[in-house]
Amino acid sequence: MKKILTISMILLLAAGFVWAAGEKEEAAAPAAAVAEEAFTVTEWEVPFLNCLTGPIASIGEYLQWGAERAAWEINQAGGINGVPVKVTGIDTAMSPETGTVEMAKLTETALVAMGPVPEPVIMAAMPIAVRSGLYSFTATTSFEYAEKFFPWSISWFSPTDEKLPPVVTAWAKKSPDIKNVVQFVENYGAWPGMAAAHVIGLEAAGVNVLDQIDVPSDAVAFGPLVVKALAENPDGIVFAANAEKVAKIILELQSRGWEDNSKLLVFSSADDGALYTTGGDNLNGVMIYNYVDPGLDTPRWQEFREAFKADHEGMEPFSLSPNYYDAVYMIKEAIENTGVTGDPSKLKEERILIRDYCNNVQNFQGLFFDWSNKDGVPLDKPLFLFQIENGQKVLVEKVIPSNK
Amino acid sequence: MSLPLYYYLAITSIYILMTWALYLPYRVAHLHFMVVANMAISGYFGGYAATQWGWPFGLALLVGIAIGAFISFLVSFGIGDAPTFAVVIVGFTFIYITKTAIENWDVIGGTMGMFGIPVVKNLLLYVYIFVLITGFFIYRFDNSRLGRAASAKFVDRDLATSFGVNTKYLGMFLQTWAGAIGGACGVFYAFLMNSLFPDFFTFHIIGTTMTMLFLGGYTTLWGPLLAAPILWGLPLILPTGVASWKQIIYGIILIVILLLRPEGAVTRKFLRKLQVKLKLVKMA
Repeated sequence: MKKILTISMILLLAAGFVWAAGEKEEAAAPAAAVAEEAFTVTEWEVPFLNCLTGPIASIGEYLQWGAERAAWEINQAGGINGVPVKVTGIDTAMSPETGTVEMAKLTETALVAMGPVPEPVIMAAMPIAVRSGLYSFTATTSFEYAEKFFPWSISWFSPTDEKLPPVVTAWAKKSPDIKNVVQFVENYGAWPGMAAAHVIGLEAAGVNVLDQIDVPSDAVAFGPLVVKALAENPDGIVFAANAEKVAKIILELQSRGWEDNSKLLVFSSADDGALYTTGGDNLNGVMIYNYVDPGLDTPRWQEFREAFKADHEGMEPFSLSPNYYDAVYMIKEAIENTGVTGDPSKLKEERILIRDYCNNVQNFQGLFFDWSNKDGVPLDKPLFLFQIENGQKVLVEKVIPSNK
Repeated sequence: MSLPLYYYLAITSIYILMTWALYLPYRVAHLHFMVVANMAISGYFGGYAATQWGWPFGLALLVGIAIGAFISFLVSFGIGDAPTFAVVIVGFTFIYITKTAIENWDVIGGTMGMFGIPVVKNLLLYVYIFVLITGFFIYRFDNSRLGRAASAKFVDRDLATSFGVNTKYLGMFLQTWAGAIGGACGVFYAFLMNSLFPDFFTFHIIGTTMTMLFLGGYTTLWGPLLAAPILWGLPLILPTGVASWKQIIYGIILIVILLLRPEGAVTRKFLRKLQVKLKLVKMA
């Protein structure tokens, strides 16, 4: 037995050397041989590294729905250059390890990719995309994550410390009697950075930030946190935490006598179904900001909205649902305007064409508004300040941060 | 070698090592989840040393192993001979403390994470050499007096003590060794992913490695070698519609194995039978 084991180990070691001799960390070269005839693509496949199972599966489903809706619309209108487009959802289940292997697979054949979602998978998988020269639409993460992988990623948002302060300033100015504010902050991903940007906006409005109340990620009871906040005697409160936690904190505040909901501001990342289902009518009057205006009255948005509601038992679209819808349309525009053929022998060059086009797209017609990019960063996207009434967001003010 | 195969093999090796890091303390009935905290601490250390101090991978690995061993050694003074439940609680606590410390320490990236850890050529070779060396030493341990002492303690602590086994020192030794392996895994993981995020090192590693340990077999080192590539690789090759059911598939496999073979797929009895058959074949 010992001899067999020793020999096995030596053989394994030798095999290891052989593997190492042949191993590559870079992506394999495109597999197809050069065709003698002109290549004709039969389908544009756009892979989407998403979370279709696991803790954020519901969000993943909304994002997937948006992307597939765009593909359906494009195909109804004749496809991209007459060729149908297909969005393929690839489930990473929020596993960084699965994300790396799935991204590694994509680097061999994909013309362009969407995702990954969310940040842990972005961190694990995007370095592979960068090393392999695969452009991927990281359309639901903050600028601070996307910029680490430029130019092989694209940011759907401007730098946090430029885009957020104006909308928070606008909120503070709506209630001039707000002099002192506390902020509830959950320590996750880009949220502390967003909280810091809120402080910039508050200080610009002449408001004093009394304290930051840390919300533990595993908190289930919020009484002590609320007591601590109220002990500071704030005039207003800002929330940068998970949606369900924000709703529960607001309920706790109201149970302890907080009356003026207009002096409560919720950040965009908490604007999802859990906020409204947990908070219910107790959220009436609460202020919230986000990047899209669901009250927009355009045929395109109303069709999207009605189709979403039909497929989701009447639920309004989640605020990030349009992001990958717009991403698919941007890919369509890039392919049509750059002459991309989908020929595997030109994979490397055509990836760069799509990348450069999208990173500097001009006047892209998104679902909600038009915008332009410069080096992967949007220049003129607005933010919207709303007031919640009966589970709906009513537009209060549109704010356009300037970062040109 | 194709890139997907490279990452599949690399992550398999890390899961093999982490499962062995659980296997060793479990030889004395300790579920020593602190190895996940060791992985996080050494991983972040290795990443920071490489990005800020320009340390080469080898040096980061050696120091990462030493850090993992040292922290586990210190903690083992308290839990080297503790009941299993206490060891579990300490492990969970350390994971929480480590994650909180990482999230609140901006110098190592905080909640944003750490970016730009350099690529290491031949990382796959290095990690499999480490797997071979670790496997060799675990094999020697299992077939030594220490291994037999561990088995005695697993069955009955008092009986083992009556045979002269120093159960505390044995527990400390195994926990320290497991910490060293956990630390190595952290450094390998950091240089493989080239970035780190606090959520990389949480309870999902415990769930996955526990499944590998108990499905593969917790009485021999061969169980993880069999279970890791299969359990980790299975969802990657299944069709998307089936892969989304992987948690249910894992659960069913776990239940079936625990009912039919409670000690896991590869047991000592199975190995002895295999050994006998091989001898018969040799004699024939």
